[in-house]
Amino acid sequence: MPNPERLDDSDRYNLMLSLTGFLVQEDEYEVSELAERFGVTSDEIVRAVKNIGFTDLANFQNPDRYVVDYDALEEGFVRISYNLENVVEDVPRLSSRQASALAAGLVYLSSLPGLAESEEILALQNILSTGDSRGNAPEVIVQPGSRDADLITIRQAIKIGKSIVCDYLNLKGEMRIGRVIEPLRIDLRGELIYLKGWCPENQDVRSFRVDRMRNAKLSDLPVSDSALNAVLDDEVYHPGETDTLVTIEVEPEAFSLMVDFRPVEEPVSVSEYVKSFKILVGDVRNLGRIISRFGGAARVVAPEEARSAVREFALKALGELPATAPEDAE
Amino acid sequence: MSESKSSPFKITKPERLFNLTCALLYTRNGLTKNEILRSVPGYENEYVDGGDNSSLERKFERDKSSLIHNGIQLEVTIPPHEDENNQVTVYSIKRESFYWPKNVEFTPRQMALLNLAADAWAGGSLSTAASRGITKLRAMGAVGEDSDIVGIAPRIQASEPSFRDLNNAISDHQVVSFMYRKPQTGEIQKRTLQPWLLRLVAGQWIVMGWDEDKQDTRNFMLRRIVSKVTSVKGVRPFDPPAQEQILKAVDDLDSLGAKQTAKIKVERDSEAWFKFELDLQGNGNSDEVTINYHDVYVLAEQLREYAGQIKVLKPDALIQVVRAGYERVANDHA
Repeated sequence: MPNPERLDDSDRYNLMLSLTGFLVQEDEYEVSELAERFGVTSDEIVRAVKNIGFTDLANFQNPDRYVVDYDALEEGFVRISYNLENVVEDVPRLSSRQASALAAGLVYLSSLPGLAESEEILALQNILSTGDSRGNAPEVIVQPGSRDADLITIRQAIKIGKSIVCDYLNLKGEMRIGRVIEPLRIDLRGELIYLKGWCPENQDVRSFRVDRMRNAKLSDLPVSDSALNAVLDDEVYHPGETDTLVTIEVEPEAFSLMVDFRPVEEPVSVSEYVKSFKILVGDVRNLGRIISRFGGAARVVAPEEARSAVREFALKALGELPATAPEDAE
Repeated sequence: MSESKSSPFKITKPERLFNLTCALLYTRNGLTKNEILRSVPGYENEYVDGGDNSSLERKFERDKSSLIHNGIQLEVTIPPHEDENNQVTVYSIKRESFYWPKNVEFTPRQMALLNLAADAWAGGSLSTAASRGITKLRAMGAVGEDSDIVGIAPRIQASEPSFRDLNNAISDHQVVSFMYRKPQTGEIQKRTLQPWLLRLVAGQWIVMGWDEDKQDTRNFMLRRIVSKVTSVKGVRPFDPPAQEQILKAVDDLDSLGAKQTAKIKVERDSEAWFKFELDLQGNGNSDEVTINYHDVYVLAEQLREYAGQIKVLKPDALIQVVRAGYERVANDHA
C-alpha cells in the first residue's frame, strides 16, 4: 500500500493511471469508497480526479478529453465522462519491478504452512507475468524455509478466536509445558515466524517464536477482550527501564543486526566498511551468542560488562572456561 | 467551479506524465520530440518557439525514464529514410503493451493474497514497487477479502543496501560492478556481473548472474558485497539469458546444497535439541543430526549460537571455521 501520508510524484502518476483504468464512463463512485480501495486519503483521490479533468488533449487530432463533474466532486462523488478514443480506459500493466516485487512477496507467503497451495501461488505468478509489460519471468525467487505443523493450529485459533495450549522453550532453554496463549497475529520476520499473542499469566502482549513451540492445541477458552484491545506493533522486543545501552560495530556481513535490533539512533559509518550503532539490551549476557554467531563481523565496543560477556561466551565455546547458561533469561 | 481546476501554468509532474502518456497512447503516427514539447500540457506552456528549449528537452528525457520505470514500453522509431537525425525520432506507446490483456481477473481470495504479498515488503527494499503494483491491480475490480487470510503480518527482511540497486539492474538488464569479500581469505575484489536473479536461500539473499571476469555463472551473497553496487558506464544492456540457463544455475546451486552435509552431536533436551528438531525426528535414540548446507560460513554462524550444546563431527572445514570464528570474537573482545 502506498503510505497515505507520503505520496510522491510517481505514486500520484501511478494513481491517476489506475483510477482512470477503474472509472467507468458515467458511473458514480463515492470519494471515500475510492480512497479505501486504493489505500490513499480522500484528498489524494480528489486531487487525482482534478488532475485527470485537466488533461487537455485539445491540440491533438482527437479534441475530446475527460470531463469531470466538479459539482458531484464537491459533494464527495466522482463521475467522469470521456471520449473512448482518447483516454486511458483500462488498467495499465505492471512494470517488471512491480511484478517481481509482488511475485517475491507471494513466494515468501508460501513459507507459511497452509496459507496457499504452491499451485495457487504459481497460478498467480503466471497472471502477474502476463501483466508485466515485458512478459518477464519472476526475477526474485524466495525459497520457502522450514514448515511447522503447529502453525496450522495457530491460524485456525486466530480465525475462530480461541486460545491455544502449547509447550514453549524459553530463552533459558527450559521447556514450559501447557502454556496458554491467546493468539493474535502471525509475524513473518525474515526466516523466523513469531506468534504475537496475549499472555494471560503476564497480562501483556508477547512474541513467541514458533520454532520453539511444540504440541500446539486448540482450547475452548475464547480470546479475551483485553487481548483483542491490545495494541500490536511491529517490534519483537520492547526495551525495559533497566536496559543497558550497548555500542556495536558491524561489517556488511553482520548488517542484519541493525534490522533485528532497532538501533536507538541512526547508525553511523566509522570506516569504509564498518558501521556503528547503539541498542538497548535487557541482559548483556545474551549478547554472547548474538555477537559470537558472526565470528568477527560484529563487535561490542562498550560498555565493558557487555564486552566481557561476549568474551566469556567465546572462550567457553573454545573450551577455555566452563560453560554455564544465564540464569534469568526469558 | 472552473477556478478549482489547476491553473494551466502550474502543471505538476504527475499531470505532465499523465498527459504525455495519453498523448503517446493515442497518436496515430507517433510524435516527434518537438511536437510533444509544442503541444503537450506541462511542456507547451514553457515552450519558446524558435528559442532555447534545452531545459525543457532535459525534462522530457527525465519523463521518458519515469514512464519506462512505471512499466511503460516506449516505442522509439526513426523513419527509415531519416536515420541519424534525432529531430525526427518518433515516440508512441502501443496499446497492446500498455493495457492488461483482456479476460485477466483476480478472485477476492487472490487479491487478498496479493495484498498480503505487497504488505510483506512494508518498509523494505521493494515496498514502493509493490505498493504501486497493488494500486494498479486494485483497479481491476476485485476487492481482497478472504476470511482465511487474517491475522498475518509478513515482513521480508532484506537489510542489504545492495538489494534495491541489484533488483533495478536486473529489471534494466544493466551490467553492474561491486567489491566482494571472499569469506575464505577476507580478500576484497572487484567483480563485474550481468545480474539475472535474486534468491533467498537458507535465509540468505543471493544474486545469481554471469560473471564477466570468470566468464561463467556465479552466485554472490549480498551481505558479502562491501561497496555500493554501481552500473558499469558506457555498456549496453545485456541480452537477458534464456530461461533454461537461469533454471540450470538455480538447479546447480540447489544440488550443491543437497550434496554437502554436516554431522553434529547435540546435547539431549538442550535448546539446540529442539532447534534441530531432534525431538521430532523419530530416529530412535540418536543424538546426532545431519544437516544439508550451501555455504560452510553460513552454517558455522548458525551453529556458533549453540556453544556448549553441540559438537561438530564433520566436515573438518566446518569444525575449523566455527573455531576460527570464536577465536576472532575472543580476540576482538580481549
